[in-house]
Amino acid sequence: MTAATATMRRNQNITRNKLAFQTGPISVGVMLLGLVILLSLLYLNQITKTSVFNYKISNLQNKQSTLETEKQKLQIEAARVQSLAQTKANAVNGGLVKTDTVSFATAR
Amino acid sequence: MQAHLHARWRLYALTTAFAILWCVAIGRLFYVQAIKGGQYASKAATQQSRKFEIPAQRGLVYLQESNGLYPVALNTEVYSLAVDPKFVKDEQKTSNSLSEVLGMPTQELKNKIATKSRYVEISKAVTAEKADQIKKLALSGVILQKRASRYYPEGSLFSQVLGYVNDDGKGQYGFEQYSDDQLAGNTGQYNTVTDALGVPINSAENRLVEPKNGKNYVLTLDRGLQTVAADALKNAIVTNRAESGSIIVMEPSTGAIKAMVNYPTYDSNDFRSVKDYALFSNRSVSGLFEPGSGFKAITMATGLDTGKVTPETKYDDTGEAIVSGKTIKNAENHKFGIQNMTDVIQKSLNTGMVFVLEQLGTNPKLITLAGKQVLREYIEKFGFGKVTGIEQAGEISSKIKPANTYDIDYANMSFGQGISVNSIQLLAAIGAIANKGTLVKPTILAGEVNSNQEIIPNKTVEVRSVVSPTAAAQTTQMMTQVVEKGSGYLTRMKGYKIAGKTGTAQVPRPDGKGYEENKNIGSFVGFAPADDPKFVMLVRIDYPKVDGFAEKTAVPAFATVAKELFRYYQVPPSGN
Repeated sequence: MTAATATMRRNQNITRNKLAFQTGPISVGVMLLGLVILLSLLYLNQITKTSVFNYKISNLQNKQSTLETEKQKLQIEAARVQSLAQTKANAVNGGLVKTDTVSFATAR
Repeated sequence: MQAHLHARWRLYALTTAFAILWCVAIGRLFYVQAIKGGQYASKAATQQSRKFEIPAQRGLVYLQESNGLYPVALNTEVYSLAVDPKFVKDEQKTSNSLSEVLGMPTQELKNKIATKSRYVEISKAVTAEKADQIKKLALSGVILQKRASRYYPEGSLFSQVLGYVNDDGKGQYGFEQYSDDQLAGNTGQYNTVTDALGVPINSAENRLVEPKNGKNYVLTLDRGLQTVAADALKNAIVTNRAESGSIIVMEPSTGAIKAMVNYPTYDSNDFRSVKDYALFSNRSVSGLFEPGSGFKAITMATGLDTGKVTPETKYDDTGEAIVSGKTIKNAENHKFGIQNMTDVIQKSLNTGMVFVLEQLGTNPKLITLAGKQVLREYIEKFGFGKVTGIEQAGEISSKIKPANTYDIDYANMSFGQGISVNSIQLLAAIGAIANKGTLVKPTILAGEVNSNQEIIPNKTVEVRSVVSPTAAAQTTQMMTQVVEKGSGYLTRMKGYKIAGKTGTAQVPRPDGKGYEENKNIGSFVGFAPADDPKFVMLVRIDYPKVDGFAEKTAVPAFATVAKELFRYYQVPPSGN
């Protein structure tokens, strides 16, 4: 037997000391419960955030829809104001008269 | 011992009963999950999901103006208004309130509300402003439903060209119907998982297909010219106590329609109130008529292009021509003696046209099959007998009689009787003469408008070369004589050379036996300036109740519009 083998065999008899802190079934249960509560809170937090974002998106979509309706209304109003009937009325109100003859200038 | 045996039997019985129950349960599970699984799964999917349609925006229609694009067909929202009489608490109050907002008679509303139906429609198109007023009234039993609609800022000015969009969102008549698929776009869809109450919930399974909005288009029409044409037409109809009429203006080199009006007309915004559905049609493309003498330019161009006649070719006008034993006479029984081909067009001689038809064949003294075949071939080359393909719903065309038909039919056709054409066909054919002999497809579509509001222009479609530039120029020269010395004199303008041809056609009786008494269609088709045409125009006046030919009914309207067109195209007078 070599010296190294002898040393190894001796070391086999070394005893390990028990840890001072030990977890029993109750503390494991409490820890698990804490973990579940923590995860639940995280989950709730995410759900709430999602709901808030959904609300924001919905709000923005409503705003977009309102703006589109408003744009449509403005387009119609702009077209109505530029319509020939309106232009004629404005011309009459403004005292404008139609030209009868047009003269062409000749370039020399 | 016996008690022990009895207990064992009871145990066996219980075990057997449980085993049977298990078998039944497993069998049922197998039936539900394996056999009927697919059916139940789809049933569950139906209950747990909903499909929402997302409507696409209908494309807009614009006109191109100096300061940008002007919309002539826009989208808007309207409400359909209905009542459920079961939930109406106070009929009198509801009728009064609605009457005040809508301007409808109270009694009419009350009668409607008094019916036993559960859904009574009051109005199909209530404006958003009025709908808001009604909402504020908080009337029980009143139902307001929002939907997309169309608004036409120019009202009746473009109505028959544009058409309208009906309450189901479908384009009807005109451009709206012709381009309905492109204008409508594609409806989107939102497939979503729902809760027990059918309310959509967020889920990874939700699927959104975005709607594809319709295409936006820009038309070739000009608002100013359209107004000038509409006013001139209305004035001509009133002055001549006519029933209806049309004016079309086209650029001969591109085929772009600058104005297209009919009278009477309607307001596209108020299509629901139209009782006479004939008003919806664009008669410029859907109304056939016998063109009369306006068609002589086509026959003459044929004679000139084939080389069978020249402007100087002479014939003896005896005032009548005998064809198949039937006598064809000139208008008002005129006879002029020796005349050349320019005189034939200028004086609008029917006998001269029969002479040209005879020259087209193998025997210059007779109408022959070969001559009829040549004329038919040219009539088709000029675009008659086939729709032009203009972007309008409801364009119709008649067929050209085959060459082996009676000689008298072709003799009549040579001066525009016994052949039906629509106004746009005649305009395009004369446009070919103005365009050095090349027929161009008439179009109202200038192009497509992309998302950056840029125009992707439509290309000019040259259909074919119909006659040589020489024949076209000779025909043009003859047509200028109509204005200078003939029936088109009322459109003569100092410094402008105008080519044209009047036509006063009889109206065939509906039973096909001869023609109506005291009914005619007056038309004038022409172009200017004759040596470099900027526009070709057709004026048609149906059933005037005043004496005189087209020179009195149609020509003055042509002159009015032509005067504005010279300004529009900035054509100065030539000074001679």
